[in-house]
Amino acid sequence: MNKSFSEKFKGFLKSWEFVLIMILLLEVVVFATKNPKFLKPAVLLGSINDIISICIISVFVTFCMITGGIDIQVGSIVGLTSIIIGVSWQDFGFNIWGAAVMGIIVAALCGALSGFFVAYCDVQPMVVTLGGSFLYSGIALLISNLSATASYKGISGFPDSFKFISKFRFFGVLPLQVVIFVVLTIIAYILLNKTKYGRMLFLVGANRQAAEYSGINARLVTMVTYILSAMSASIAGIILTSYLGTAKSDLGSTFTLQIITACVLGGTLSTGGKGSAVGTALAAVVIGVLKFGLPLAFGVNQQYMDIPVGALLLIVVIVRAALNNQKVIAFFHKKK
Amino acid sequence: MSQKAESEKLLVVKDIKKQFGLNVVLKGIDLSVASGEVLALVGGNGAGKSTLMKIIMGIYQPDYGEVYIGGDRITSFKPIVSLEKGIYMVPQEPMLFPNMTVEENILIGFKESHASLDERLRKIMADIGWNLDLTRKALSLTIAEQQIVELLRGLMRNARLLILDEPTSSLTFDEVLSLFKVIKGLKEKGIGIIYITHRLSEVFVIGTHVAIMRDGHITLQGPIADFNRDMLVKGLLPDNMQDIEKEDVAYEKVDYEGKKPVLTLDHFSGYGFKDVSFDVYPGEILGLAGLVGAGRTELATTIFGREKPLGGKVFLNGQDVTGLSTRKIIDAGINYVPEDRHLNGLFGMDSVAANTTSSFLHNRAMGNAFLDRKKEYEITEKYIKDFRTKVTGQDQEAGSLSGGNQQKIVISRCLATNPKVVILDEPTRGIDAAARGDVYSIILELKKQGVAIILISSDMEEIVELSDRAVVMYQGYKKDEFKKEEITQPALMNASFNITEKEA
Amino acid sequence: MNGLKKFLKAREAGSIIFLILLFFIVGCMNPAFLKPASLLACLNDSVVFTLLAAGIAFVILTGEIDVSIGATLGMSAAIAATILRDGGNWGIALVAALITGALIGLVNGWGVSVMNIPSLIFTLGVNGVVRGMIYVFTKGAWVENLPGEFTKLANVMLVGQLTVFYVIAIVIVLICNYITKKTKRGRYFTAVGDNISGAALVGIPTTKTKILAYVLCGVFASLAGMAYTSRIGFVTPIAGNGYEMKAIAACVLGGVALTGGQGSLFGAAIGAIIMSSISRILIFMGFSSDYDNTITGVMLIVIVVVTTVMQNREIVRNHHDMLLARTNKEEVKKEVAEA
Repeated sequence: MNKSFSEKFKGFLKSWEFVLIMILLLEVVVFATKNPKFLKPAVLLGSINDIISICIISVFVTFCMITGGIDIQVGSIVGLTSIIIGVSWQDFGFNIWGAAVMGIIVAALCGALSGFFVAYCDVQPMVVTLGGSFLYSGIALLISNLSATASYKGISGFPDSFKFISKFRFFGVLPLQVVIFVVLTIIAYILLNKTKYGRMLFLVGANRQAAEYSGINARLVTMVTYILSAMSASIAGIILTSYLGTAKSDLGSTFTLQIITACVLGGTLSTGGKGSAVGTALAAVVIGVLKFGLPLAFGVNQQYMDIPVGALLLIVVIVRAALNNQKVIAFFHKKK
Repeated sequence: MSQKAESEKLLVVKDIKKQFGLNVVLKGIDLSVASGEVLALVGGNGAGKSTLMKIIMGIYQPDYGEVYIGGDRITSFKPIVSLEKGIYMVPQEPMLFPNMTVEENILIGFKESHASLDERLRKIMADIGWNLDLTRKALSLTIAEQQIVELLRGLMRNARLLILDEPTSSLTFDEVLSLFKVIKGLKEKGIGIIYITHRLSEVFVIGTHVAIMRDGHITLQGPIADFNRDMLVKGLLPDNMQDIEKEDVAYEKVDYEGKKPVLTLDHFSGYGFKDVSFDVYPGEILGLAGLVGAGRTELATTIFGREKPLGGKVFLNGQDVTGLSTRKIIDAGINYVPEDRHLNGLFGMDSVAANTTSSFLHNRAMGNAFLDRKKEYEITEKYIKDFRTKVTGQDQEAGSLSGGNQQKIVISRCLATNPKVVILDEPTRGIDAAARGDVYSIILELKKQGVAIILISSDMEEIVELSDRAVVMYQGYKKDEFKKEEITQPALMNASFNITEKEA
Repeated sequence: MNGLKKFLKAREAGSIIFLILLFFIVGCMNPAFLKPASLLACLNDSVVFTLLAAGIAFVILTGEIDVSIGATLGMSAAIAATILRDGGNWGIALVAALITGALIGLVNGWGVSVMNIPSLIFTLGVNGVVRGMIYVFTKGAWVENLPGEFTKLANVMLVGQLTVFYVIAIVIVLICNYITKKTKRGRYFTAVGDNISGAALVGIPTTKTKILAYVLCGVFASLAGMAYTSRIGFVTPIAGNGYEMKAIAACVLGGVALTGGQGSLFGAAIGAIIMSSISRILIFMGFSSDYDNTITGVMLIVIVVVTTVMQNREIVRNHHDMLLARTNKEEVKKEVAEA
């Protein structure tokens, strides 16, 4: 409580977030020396659209992982939201913003359904959200069939006010969606670190039994995380639809690897109990910059980008596992 | 003991020491079992019996000391080594494959052909006279049947030394008789047996030798003929009480005059206990004694809303609180310090502050939606000071504290809700003497403040020292109730082991 | 009679009955579906998922998961197809594919079993790397113009209307099913998933068993890759994308519990048939095949939720029964009454 600023700063230097910032700086320095174009604000910030969905969603999937769960259905929610917006706007004459709100509500319901099965029926989160990813992408496809437009074409021609989300730049440079991402990250940070809900979340993740012995409604706390992650996916879906100018049912289907990578790289413990919104957000940006910088600076084919992302995930988990082993060894050495 | 005699022993254990963290569990154990011997090993909870057995089975590595099996010194502690040397342990909670059949469970891990295994199994079963449907899945077996499966596993392995960990704790009378018959048969075949039990009467029926373990030591050991029941009970009791600092346990007599009970159990039944009635008064410590499996923890957790009650009522200040949810029970003014700190008590990854306030979290005083950090700080600081908890700061991870300090944190969590009734389940298990003294002063301070305390403990001296009244449970029933002056260790011990006066 | 009872108790029974009912109902609505040619086509179509599901069943039986099999399929298919296209012998292509699968499986097994990294996370990372390597290997292009005798193989019928691939696949699955059900070492997979500490206690090498499960899973995925290449006739860099999810779904539909220790390879093969028949069934019932994912999702969730809830209830009931037995023991009642 009464820590001095220098103490806090020292703590920060030791934190994983600091390591991530260093990695990010390293990326920027390497890419910029190789190709100075990289540093142009227009180029750098313009690339944001390709990674913004991952960034937003992974921050909230972190919530699920803190409870020891996982959410692999978020990708399908992105497409579902997109197609709901498109169909209800074009074919049912909804106001575009009404359509967007409806997308978020439907997403929340989808998250609640999966969350209910996880929290109240004790089904493995992985399986429930696997089923969810089939179900919600299937529903998205069915909804797209309601439209007069063939589903593979996608629905386009949205009003300018909707495209505003991805076109607007603060001071002519800072894209609105970046601001949305930062605001959502701050909200997530506050939720996790300043509210009672966030505290309960960590307690449930650290020891669900003990949380129940403390009178915490662990099931409700867990279910809410799936609602939050689904809602974040739907916000990402809105931004992506606005950017592409097209509503399609299969948007987001390739996000899973990157989202989980961002969470794990951000310091979230997949077994639960630990995780940070800022860490995940930084990790998502690290991944995004990597995916953007490698092709720009080294001419690496865009299609190869799964390799660095996958390798990054593997390196992080292997190093962590090895470090844990080291600790055990050191512990026993001390004993003797 | 000469070298030669030793090599004839199936098992020799020399000066074994083992500690977990700061908790010293075994303080130098010497033990030996020869062919055809049945060593009855008796000891209270936490005496270190199961740790010792796990070392013999190669699951744990001892910190110090030597283990010889059949004359060979064990250098690498692995289950497979012990198995190969002919040791098999039937654990108290059988480790079966729930989704496999009985037959598969028994025969898995063997290298012989299926036909010969099958023949041997049928022969063994016929020899013993036990009937068990081999095609049933293990998950449908009762505990007794599971133990039989484990026993058959051991026999199939031609074990030379069988360790039976409280095999009769959930068997019926007939099953116990047939088990004893089996053990006698095995003994005649020259198999050595370590028989761990809580029931003193069994020691004389089945044992050829006896050893009593207490607090990481063997207090008494030798052929069964050298002892009688009183000597065994004596061996179970501590020879001095120096462990406890006397000045900390300053007893104050409770004046019951005109007091109304704060908590009343009225023919309360649930899973694992039945028809339990007693009162608890404000400002008193009610000791709840008994053995493992006597239903004390089940009783406490059912009051606390973790399990569904099956009958009877619980009243708190006359108000019916039977079957309420845990949160409502906490709000009503009851809190519980769980028996298993790591499983149900501690958030090891979270800070001391988060742990201390966890049960108080849903209270408005901690803020509406946002966490009131100031309040959190105040509460945590109060308990760190009051309990002399050794922490580097409020943000220290609770998991990195010593056992005693962890326990203080869990007790703080419980007290932070200002309960009228506190149930402490084994509050001093596995913590060092200094922390134990601190926990005692906490309990006495609560008593002074008029809080009603139910103290569940398997440490009889603790109950004797602290309790104003004591209730003893046996096999899920309330066996006896004692007033302050009647509470003595032999009395508690006899009631816990269900020894009636005339028998003893 | 006894055999029937035993059958009904098995976890696969539910899936088989479900499959038969499903086919029967569809047949009632459109008798054309029940023609042998149509039914056998259901089997033939399921060959890739039969192999994938049976392979991943090894891993799931041990209580782990592998989400890299789609990429493994793609990688082995790409390697085999390239060898074939460049005039290589099909035997060499097969061996190269199998080695690829085995190596990927070995890496997965090492990470999960030796390094103790959560299997979903580790295999997800491997999935990314392998998926990217397919692009590197194929330079992002399709591998086309495969020799005719290889692609024709997919249409060679062996038993009546069954393709040679399905016959091979089902024979392999049945053999492995027998091994995992009836042989001593084969039972280790199930044992490890059922109770890993109990398995260690009876001397089962748990680490090795898990590694072997991953290797077999990789090998099965590469076999699936061969079948895939022959049926489709070309390999794209996204070949097998998302197949891992469908294979897991097939296992669940076939009664393989994702908690480990329960189910069989045969069940997984049945699940694969259900899984891959859905789109054909939809067409016969006059629906668009767009309902495919929705129905898969609903089936998956319903089955998993129902089995989990039932299983958890049984565990709680067993625990309660044990506690009740303690207080209901006659001699204890007597003892207490006497005292």
